[in-house]
Amino acid sequence: MNQLSRYVRGPLILVALLVIMRYLFPNKMTFFWEVSTFGIYIIANDILYGYMGMVSFGQPFYLGVGAYAAAIYLAHIGHNIFIAISFAILAGLVTGLILGPAYIRLRGDYYALINAATCAMGLFMVEKVLYSITNGDDGLWYRSSMQPTPLLNLKMPGDVFWFTMIILGLVMIFYTWLDRSTLGAAFRGMKASENKMKFLGYDTFKLRWLGYTMMCVLAALSGSLYAINYGFVNPSITEPARSAEVLVATLLGGPGSVYGPFFGTVAFIGIKDFVSAIMTRWELAVGILTIIVCFYFEGGVWGTIQKIGYKIKARATKTDRAVSGETAGSSKS
Amino acid sequence: MFDLYLSAVIFGLTISGILFLVSIGISIGFGLMRIINMEQMVYYTFGAYLTFALVAGTGSFLLGLICGTLVAAIAGFLVETQLLRRVYGKELMFTMVVTFSVFMIGIGLVQYIFGLASKPVGMPFRVIVSIMGAQVPLYRLMVFVISMSVYVLIWMFLNKTIFGKAIRAGIENPDQVQGLGINIRKIFTITFVVASGLAGFGGALNAPLVGVAPYMGFDMLLFAFITVILGGLGSIKGTLVSALIMGQVMSVGGTIYGPLAFVGPFMVMFVVILFRPTGLYGVKGRAFGFEE
Repeated sequence: MNQLSRYVRGPLILVALLVIMRYLFPNKMTFFWEVSTFGIYIIANDILYGYMGMVSFGQPFYLGVGAYAAAIYLAHIGHNIFIAISFAILAGLVTGLILGPAYIRLRGDYYALINAATCAMGLFMVEKVLYSITNGDDGLWYRSSMQPTPLLNLKMPGDVFWFTMIILGLVMIFYTWLDRSTLGAAFRGMKASENKMKFLGYDTFKLRWLGYTMMCVLAALSGSLYAINYGFVNPSITEPARSAEVLVATLLGGPGSVYGPFFGTVAFIGIKDFVSAIMTRWELAVGILTIIVCFYFEGGVWGTIQKIGYKIKARATKTDRAVSGETAGSSKS
Repeated sequence: MFDLYLSAVIFGLTISGILFLVSIGISIGFGLMRIINMEQMVYYTFGAYLTFALVAGTGSFLLGLICGTLVAAIAGFLVETQLLRRVYGKELMFTMVVTFSVFMIGIGLVQYIFGLASKPVGMPFRVIVSIMGAQVPLYRLMVFVISMSVYVLIWMFLNKTIFGKAIRAGIENPDQVQGLGINIRKIFTITFVVASGLAGFGGALNAPLVGVAPYMGFDMLLFAFITVILGGLGSIKGTLVSALIMGQVMSVGGTIYGPLAFVGPFMVMFVVILFRPTGLYGVKGRAFGFEE
């Protein structure tokens, strides 16, 4: 029981916080919904970037896989939303299993670039090659073919919010488990030194493949949530130019920590909303911010919070020790 | 039919010239400074926009070309001395993220100053020559000739001058060069300024051909990276050869089937990375020289 609560407590507090915020600021629901959906996407990226140290410039591709899988199912095949989400997860799984062996054996920089190439080719596929299925630039519209579901009606944005909360909670629990498990430790070990991990007897190829597939599935899940909430999908979701967002949000939060991706998402989307109210585009502010974070706050938002927390704790224990030492001394005398 | 393909080949040579000019910075940046230069395309964008502004303002293309190159070189100098110095020696991921943010700042600045819309740039001259039945604008031929002369100049600089030899030695082993009493930081700065100037020059030359847009650097960044990877990181000769191949892939491929102009390079990159990650002239696990 105690074992379980270790993994569940944090994510539950987080989700509860989001729900409370959503009812405190009722007209900001889209913001909180986007934070949780984008958060799943960033968690997916963080498994690769934060734990394994692999930068990718083509993350929108994996988001697009999920979004288009769900959209194609709803527009051409069936009407059930839950099956559409499962379909998207399946698509992510297949993508990860097929592309994985070819990609993960590449060195860091090549891995980043082949992802950029994949993303450009994915954009080309949905725009031109698969035009008859995806409708090219016009996008797929399928809201009318979505069947209302029992319990949580996923045609309604309010219910999608609740559904996303449940998914986010589950993903966060999984992610907390990953952080504290042997698997997570093995991922971190690979980031530090792959040769040493090999020496210790770990099959690093399989570990990377596993991490890559996890990333694909989670990103596809996030993409399918986007597809369901908006009721349409167009190629702008897989634009290579958007790959920067992912990296910046991951960095902002603090890569390689449990709550880092979430706080990064809040900070990133918050700043984006805030800046785009002042300027038409947000590239300038985000670029400057990333450099500042890179050089001065290596742990990102969450890392800084943690550091302050440690400092307070250290000070507290110091005064504790001083007090107890005094009493010990006094009792002796 | 023949003249169609002939003109496609010549158009491809122009693209090769531009690709070569903008890729040198990335190639040398990796070979000499061991960083991944994502921000090289900022200078390309700056060069192109300066040309656009000066052609629109004064009507003189030559002035635009010179100012674009100079401003790009100055921007390169500022970025190198203020920011990239703190980055040398860190891991590649870190350099990638930092230089990518510089790239974003550059895009943001351009958007802030010139707006979001893409704009055309007037051709400096509209002479058309006919080669074996193919009608080719003289300007395109000139771009190719200019970039080839740049290659010859770089080759001479690296092989005939003492400074160029120091750069080549730095690519082999920076620590030993420093041990010989050569200020490697100064070499870094000068190389970087020259490379960014060349990127700006490429942007200025390319502006009349493709027009200007804030995100023009993004596609070019991908193409330039493909060129560098195909040629082998750190090798100037490899960059030239792969730029020539890339130009033909884009131009002739695009003539055969339209969308290939954009996707062809990525397909090439796919094949190269998966089957020969070191590129044409690269050697695995070793910094490679410019010659052989």
